Amino acid sequence: MARRTLVFAGLSAALALAVVTSLAFGAVAVPLGETIEILLGNGGGGPHQQIVETLRLPRTVEAMVVGAALGIAGAILQGALANPLASPDVIGVTGGAGFGAILIIILFPGSIALLPVGALAFGLLAAALVFSIAWSGANRGSTGKVILAGIAILSLFTAATTGLLAAYPERAPSAIFFIAGGLTSSGWDEMATIWPYFAAGFLCAALLIRPLDRLALGDDVSASLGSRPHLIRLGAAVAAALLAAASAAIAGLLGFLGLVVPHVVRMAGGTSSHTFVVPASAIGGAALLAAGGTLARTLRAPIEMPVGPFMVVLGVPLFLWLLRKVV
Amino acid sequence: MRRAVLAAIVAALLCITSAAQAKPPRIVALTPFGANTLVKLGVEPVGIGQTLGGQERFSPKLKDVTVLPLSHPNGPNLEQLASLDPDLVLSSPTWAKGNESMGDLGIRVLVREPRKVAESYSQTLAIGRLVDRRKRAEALVKSMKEGVAQARKGIERHPSVMLILGVGRTPFVFLPNSWGGDVVTKAGGQLLTGGVESSSGFERISDEVVVAEDPDVIVAVPHANEEDIPSLTEYLRTNPAWATTSAVRNGRIHISVDNSLLQAGTDVARTIRKVRRLYLEN
Repeated sequence: MARRTLVFAGLSAALALAVVTSLAFGAVAVPLGETIEILLGNGGGGPHQQIVETLRLPRTVEAMVVGAALGIAGAILQGALANPLASPDVIGVTGGAGFGAILIIILFPGSIALLPVGALAFGLLAAALVFSIAWSGANRGSTGKVILAGIAILSLFTAATTGLLAAYPERAPSAIFFIAGGLTSSGWDEMATIWPYFAAGFLCAALLIRPLDRLALGDDVSASLGSRPHLIRLGAAVAAALLAAASAAIAGLLGFLGLVVPHVVRMAGGTSSHTFVVPASAIGGAALLAAGGTLARTLRAPIEMPVGPFMVVLGVPLFLWLLRKVV
Repeated sequence: MRRAVLAAIVAALLCITSAAQAKPPRIVALTPFGANTLVKLGVEPVGIGQTLGGQERFSPKLKDVTVLPLSHPNGPNLEQLASLDPDLVLSSPTWAKGNESMGDLGIRVLVREPRKVAESYSQTLAIGRLVDRRKRAEALVKSMKEGVAQARKGIERHPSVMLILGVGRTPFVFLPNSWGGDVVTKAGGQLLTGGVESSSGFERISDEVVVAEDPDVIVAVPHANEEDIPSLTEYLRTNPAWATTSAVRNGRIHISVDNSLLQAGTDVARTIRKVRRLYLEN
């Protein structure tokens, strides 16, 4: 118990540090005291207020929400599918969202405002295709069938995306940030459209925490305790699809986070209980994305880089260290 | 008599040889700059390249020339290219991988894609030498220089300009070492770059710098169509990140869809005049 508390405390401290640095640092130097005054509503107007209120604050909140969503999506998928390699990629969401976004960037640039909606819609469509294949015919709802259907649909959408990029090479630069993952500077606009999907995903995930712990005992034992394993699995997949598709709509393709963060918190906490892993993954994911976002903005400032590679740089060493120490 | 016959044979042979030498080379131009320069020098290429959905600005005189579809990263289909039996391909760095493959086929490849107005002069002269039209190339360059000087006359204001490539909330800015960046500078604009440099001529800069440097004018080159201009203008105008900039507040957001700021051309003077009249208002 003490170990879990320690991990929660460490993750919370990391998140607090990541949030403070995200608000305090950027391409333009804004004194910390002025940043605090602006956040407290005492800004005197001008560019600094615009930078803190319209750029840094929404980006920081987006990083926290998206990071938490991807961390939770990975945690519940790995639990529901009893597969350590499960992530939003496995249920096709990442591939579908990527195709939806690239389709708009490449073929319908005049409708670019619809990019988040396109990513969300195709992400959910891909997940729906995976579910409809996995939950039909023989062995419906089995882990193996879900994963194989997911890989097939992911391959399908990835191939279509690659085809679009290869056919219109001069339009590809606009797509790089989406593919490599990046928090944009859209103020609150995109979050205002997408938040209901996050809310639904977070709620479903919260309701699934205890059923997932029972499912971890195995389908037979879980069923003998009154649970419905296939329904839990479907619920987890739907929640993960909502969270991952909403995340892709806001910040592009950041599947790595959903794969690694749950493993890190599991190894650090020494338990696979979802009452610990799900909230800890949320905090860890939020901290990692907020920190990665700050690095992407500041390392070569004023050049802005995609955030995906920075999360890999931050996450992989920690993951490998824990893997060597714990497993 | 014998001498006369011999002289006639030698003369005939010389005529044949010189006729063979005068035969224009078979050139495929994969860039609009290469193709249009050839036309202005009086040489018709045997093929021109066109990207899928691209809006390359070709001379009307090229309407009957074979079009080779271009795709990344190879450029033209090598079989289609080989069927044109070219002596020379004027290509672009964009098709670097394909350029190597063309060379492997024994085709001479020259990369000709100016990124500065001054480079368009030197490369026009180089193409002139390649096709043995030196005088015409020199005349063309002279008229280009005169046209540019004329187009730059009377510049009164130097507004700060953010010139962006692509669509979405993460566009790249044109740097001074890009065609569009150099043209805007020649037109009297002060290019907003955040002080960054990149060999590619484009870089993604932070919106924080955009807010701090406060551009007077924002011009987007989005790879889009004419009918997309109103929606793209509205999209950029309502970008919360740029709401406080002078460009947004004064409604000075423009969309350029004709690729004149993206692709080098011999009509640079016309492009400078257009930039001054429509965007910089200087």
